[in-house]
Amino acid sequence: MTETLTGAQVMCRVLLEQGVDLIFGYPGGAIMPFYHALPEYAALRHVLVRHEQAAAHAADGYARASGRPGVCVATSGPGATNLVTGLATAHMDSAPVVAITGQVSRNMIGRDAFQETDIIGITQPITKHNVLVGDVSELADRLREALAIAQEGRPGPVLVDVPKDVQNQKTSYTAAASRARPVTGTPAPAPAGNGWASELGRAARLIGEAQRPLIMAGHGVLLADAYDELRCLAERTGMPVITTLLGISGFPESHPLHLGMPGMHGEVHVNRAIQQADLIVGVGLRFDDRVTGNTAAFAPRAQLIHIELDPSEVGKNVPTAVGLVGDCRQVLRQLLPLVRRRDCSAWRAEIAGFAKTRTEHYRGDLSPEGILRTLHEVTDGRCTIVSDVGQHQMWVAKLFPYERPNTHITSGGLGTMGFAVPAAMGVRLARPDEPVWAISGDGGFQMNMQEIATMVQERIPVKMAIFNNGYLGMVRQWQQFFHGRRYSATPIWSPDYVKLAEAYGVPGWRVAEAGHTADAVRAAMSVPGPALVEFVIEQEANVFPMIPPGASLSEPIEGEPAPLVPA
Amino acid sequence: MTGSQAISILLDHKLVTLNRAFGLLRRRNLPIKSIAVGPSASPGLARLTIMMQADQATADRTARQLDKVVGVREVAVFPARDGVVRELALVKVRPGEGRYAELLDVALLYKAGLVDESPEAVILEVSGSEAFVLSFLRALERFEVLEVARSGGVALERAQGAASQFTLTSETV
Repeated sequence: MTETLTGAQVMCRVLLEQGVDLIFGYPGGAIMPFYHALPEYAALRHVLVRHEQAAAHAADGYARASGRPGVCVATSGPGATNLVTGLATAHMDSAPVVAITGQVSRNMIGRDAFQETDIIGITQPITKHNVLVGDVSELADRLREALAIAQEGRPGPVLVDVPKDVQNQKTSYTAAASRARPVTGTPAPAPAGNGWASELGRAARLIGEAQRPLIMAGHGVLLADAYDELRCLAERTGMPVITTLLGISGFPESHPLHLGMPGMHGEVHVNRAIQQADLIVGVGLRFDDRVTGNTAAFAPRAQLIHIELDPSEVGKNVPTAVGLVGDCRQVLRQLLPLVRRRDCSAWRAEIAGFAKTRTEHYRGDLSPEGILRTLHEVTDGRCTIVSDVGQHQMWVAKLFPYERPNTHITSGGLGTMGFAVPAAMGVRLARPDEPVWAISGDGGFQMNMQEIATMVQERIPVKMAIFNNGYLGMVRQWQQFFHGRRYSATPIWSPDYVKLAEAYGVPGWRVAEAGHTADAVRAAMSVPGPALVEFVIEQEANVFPMIPPGASLSEPIEGEPAPLVPA
Repeated sequence: MTGSQAISILLDHKLVTLNRAFGLLRRRNLPIKSIAVGPSASPGLARLTIMMQADQATADRTARQLDKVVGVREVAVFPARDGVVRELALVKVRPGEGRYAELLDVALLYKAGLVDESPEAVILEVSGSEAFVLSFLRALERFEVLEVARSGGVALERAQGAASQFTLTSETV
């Protein structure tokens, strides 16, 4: 049925037609026609954030937790530019976010109108695609395409810029028969062809012949829902599994084949295994510099099989012996029958010999390790953790045993401080039955703590934990190790977080002793709404081990550096 | 091995699509020698030719990244030696007192056309490989060259017998 609607009504209708029932946004001049239409569509829930950056992060969190596109809305000018950090975050971590921005009316574009910015130009390098809608007649299709492009292949953010007068234009609207499918379709990994079959065969042969093979699993495993296939490959071959920061929770950590996280803050035995390996099977990752260290010295004995959806990633950072381009799940399913059953027990025993017992590097009894152990015990592991960026992020990645798929969400590629609190709102709305913990440092928390108001107004029961050490801890750690302990601009004052929470009408607890951790976590979990727990931790605790930037994985710093001798 | 590589792209003939392609080249800090763009045989599509001084792997990687740009329809990458690469140059030159015939001799030698003539200066047009065009420009150095406009290379891969043909599809990577 064809109806006559305004552009603004078309926007709402297309979102609903495409299965979107939740948007995060903030109104303003150039997006007012859209907000005028919005109350007519009760099925489309709008969450009013306190800053547009939070709308983008919340949409990102929603997308990562649900696998469906996360949608955020902002006005032109400052509204649109405030989305930028969130879009860049989603771009680096391949999250399907769709941003809708208002733009000044078409006759004003290019005249430096009030609240005009070239958001298409600004976001071009940090979106998968973006488009300025030139006329209402194309509005529905551009929006449908945006949702499809965001999800197809390797996901990513798409921005649709809609001039105010286009939102007011009338047009005839016909509902699409179905959800927009990806324009080009997810690249099928197996077009018939000898090339593909022989590459698969070559990969299987390499896996069969290797003496010291490893699997490195990344975000692609989560995106492709390839948990079972990954596990099958590991169990069929006995290959130990390394999970990258964004690959965490792609493989159960209690599994005997699980090895840990690689790279800059990876465990020594994991990095040593990489350096000794003669074969690495990379599944859905991009061999980022935080994973490889110095690429020239990365895995010097290993050949690489790279299973990856995005062809431009294969061979980008490290040379590849076999590149299998396709959805990780589909490729693994085709590879599995060709891989002969084997067991790598000798190699695993060798790796076990690399492992060292972790030495406690923390003074005082409230250690990050203890907090996370307690959090795991109290929640019985049944929660999703959204972390921010910095030292706590590494502790959360390494010290919480993730068993269930996609229960660890963090800003990996861009390393965006301030991500956790708003992203956790999106995660919680995607998982209404799941406890969601946003864990931040005192620096990152203060970047987006205004969103407590959003949680209260919209009744989003996120549990917030702050690891407060009074420093921008990771920067301080670098200053300690590499900049002569000159703690320039890293000491950071915090407000009284318990009072802050109370000001927002949220219960808060301060924990300074290990013995109080469990009670505080339990109390926070027992209230129905949002809650906050501040952990006052050791000020100069460090994340160990650490590979210095640009060094090889063979050169970890494993303990406190010697004190500086005054010159 | 580093050499001259051609990337030939069919893409939507829109400024925003071209801008996306150029933006990618800038962001990735690629060793670009020249960029030429013009209409293609298909209405609405432009042919963009990028010449780069790089190894085959860098050229392949560039092609794969360009292939992801929405609006890019087809990408082919080939070493310049496996295709035909030509560029056009227009040169405004002042022959100098009594040296007009000498200038015409040089133009004849390079099969350059005399496309504009005024009492002050002439405009010559030459086309050919980059080396040929550069050689022509060197030959003109003994006159007074006022302005040069070069198109940058346009290229097509040879129809047959190209040993290292590489057209992007997901399974050839």
